[in-house]
Amino acid sequence: MQNRQAYLAAAALLVGLALLGLWGERFLLYLAMRVMILAIFALGFDLLFGRTGLLSFGHGAFYAGGAYGTALCYLHLSKDPLLCLLAGLLLATALALIVGFFCVRHTEIYFAMLTLAFGMMIFSLVWNLREITGGDDGLVGISRQAINLGLAKLPLRKEGQFYFLVLSCFGLVLYAVHRIRSSPFGLILAGIRENHLRAEFAGANIKNYRLAAFVISGFLAGLAGGLGVLLESNAAPFAAHWSHSSEPVLVSLIGGLNTLAGPLVGSFVFIVLKEVVMRVTPYWMLWFGVVLLVILLGFRGGVVGTLAQALGRGAKEARS
Amino acid sequence: MSAPLMEVRGLSKAFGKVVTARNIDLAFQAGELTSIIGPNGAGKSTFINMMSGSLAVDAGAILFLGRDVTRLPIHERVGLGLCRSFQVVNVFPGLTVFENVEIPVLVAAKRATRFFAPRAREAQAHEAVREVLERVGLAARAEVKASELSHGDQRLLEVAVALAARPKLLFLDEPTAGMNPVERVEILKHIRRLNQEGGTTFIIVEHDMDIVFSLSDRVVVLHRGDVICDGPPAHVQCDPQVRECYLGEEVA
Repeated sequence: MQNRQAYLAAAALLVGLALLGLWGERFLLYLAMRVMILAIFALGFDLLFGRTGLLSFGHGAFYAGGAYGTALCYLHLSKDPLLCLLAGLLLATALALIVGFFCVRHTEIYFAMLTLAFGMMIFSLVWNLREITGGDDGLVGISRQAINLGLAKLPLRKEGQFYFLVLSCFGLVLYAVHRIRSSPFGLILAGIRENHLRAEFAGANIKNYRLAAFVISGFLAGLAGGLGVLLESNAAPFAAHWSHSSEPVLVSLIGGLNTLAGPLVGSFVFIVLKEVVMRVTPYWMLWFGVVLLVILLGFRGGVVGTLAQALGRGAKEARS
Repeated sequence: MSAPLMEVRGLSKAFGKVVTARNIDLAFQAGELTSIIGPNGAGKSTFINMMSGSLAVDAGAILFLGRDVTRLPIHERVGLGLCRSFQVVNVFPGLTVFENVEIPVLVAAKRATRFFAPRAREAQAHEAVREVLERVGLAARAEVKASELSHGDQRLLEVAVALAARPKLLFLDEPTAGMNPVERVEILKHIRRLNQEGGTTFIIVEHDMDIVFSLSDRVVVLHRGDVICDGPPAHVQCDPQVRECYLGEEVA
């Protein structure tokens, strides 16, 4: 019953987004794409943070891996957008595998600080390797070429066309993360969060499970980074900065931990709020912070958690 | 006599100048319910930690089913059938009773790495989970969150989680700690029955002597890292050395 409702809600969301893609105006599409890209980033991140209980402050590095992989492929190898995305995914996943290998040996604050340190190392590489990464200028001039399907070509140049590539990725990621969350593997991750010692004595090699969760979240961060480059037509070094790594953390906390809807709601609130506040005041960072504080303090367990609790209470009262 | 289930040879461990295991030789037979007792600081917890892999040994060898497991990591020992429970309740508090048991069942069945298949279709595993819950008498509370169980039931659940990995040898570290007398009798009956049902041999580490004499086939007494007595409960009860170092302090 609950499952069916969730499927219906997801289907309604995707259909609604598709309709928006057909009739929405350009700026609205641009915002919707930013929400979806951030949601892809946050969905992967929450598998690690909300599900496995590991708080990373370095996932901006994998986002940047995806972004620079995509941009470098475009500039040096091939202009095929899917091939470029694939290159970005490879780079992000490889980075996540290496960084994760060292980080998953530790937990809690040590894990968080290690990921922060690795993230800043990668940022400084991006910042200083001017010949490769363009340094503080980043890599610019990446335009969206058509996807070549052999017989037909799918153009992506216009917002309204690229939108459907982003939407497809978003839909696929939503489905994949749902499958992972309801798999045996997903249950072991929850067990590691709840009690990693017990999980070890259940016979699980918890380092491998943690690493797997880390790499999956790094992969999805890379996908978000690659799509971000195609959307903005450039790769910027601050994608790897810790301030960008904090975005999925905030999104997870705003939306609610360890739910499928949490990262979606969190991403929506985050992007829309930022956009609105920026228009009203030049001190947008200050007011954005104030509003975030109110949400984080007012909605314990995130927007989704609070709503679910309220609905649950309502349902109980209706029954009694 | 058949080969022992587990054998310890020349086991030694010291923390600085405090010796918690001094050249211990012990063998445990399958099906023989053994208790390890000793006053505080006797080295009981250290012993269990070395057996289960939480603590490295200084010297000596641990053989399980004839295989040297001295340097094997925890999860591999569990995979061979060597598991333990803890002094403080150690379950997955935020998960349901069913999920608590499902985790070790899935790992033992080598299905835990399936990351894209729905868990709901793991019918065989779920059957095994229900069976374990029946055995310990928690079947009726399968959908309750572990943190909402009573203390006694949480300890039972812990035994269930440990049993679900289908261990051949299970160390229970003070299984009755923090229990009221009724719960205590209850869980001991369970342990006795589970040991008789076969498949799993229990070794209980206890502080309280009354418990173990009524329950065990064999009692091993540790004192400051030495085995000072080893035999059937009646024999151990009469041993003057045991009375002196252990009972003595309670009688006096």
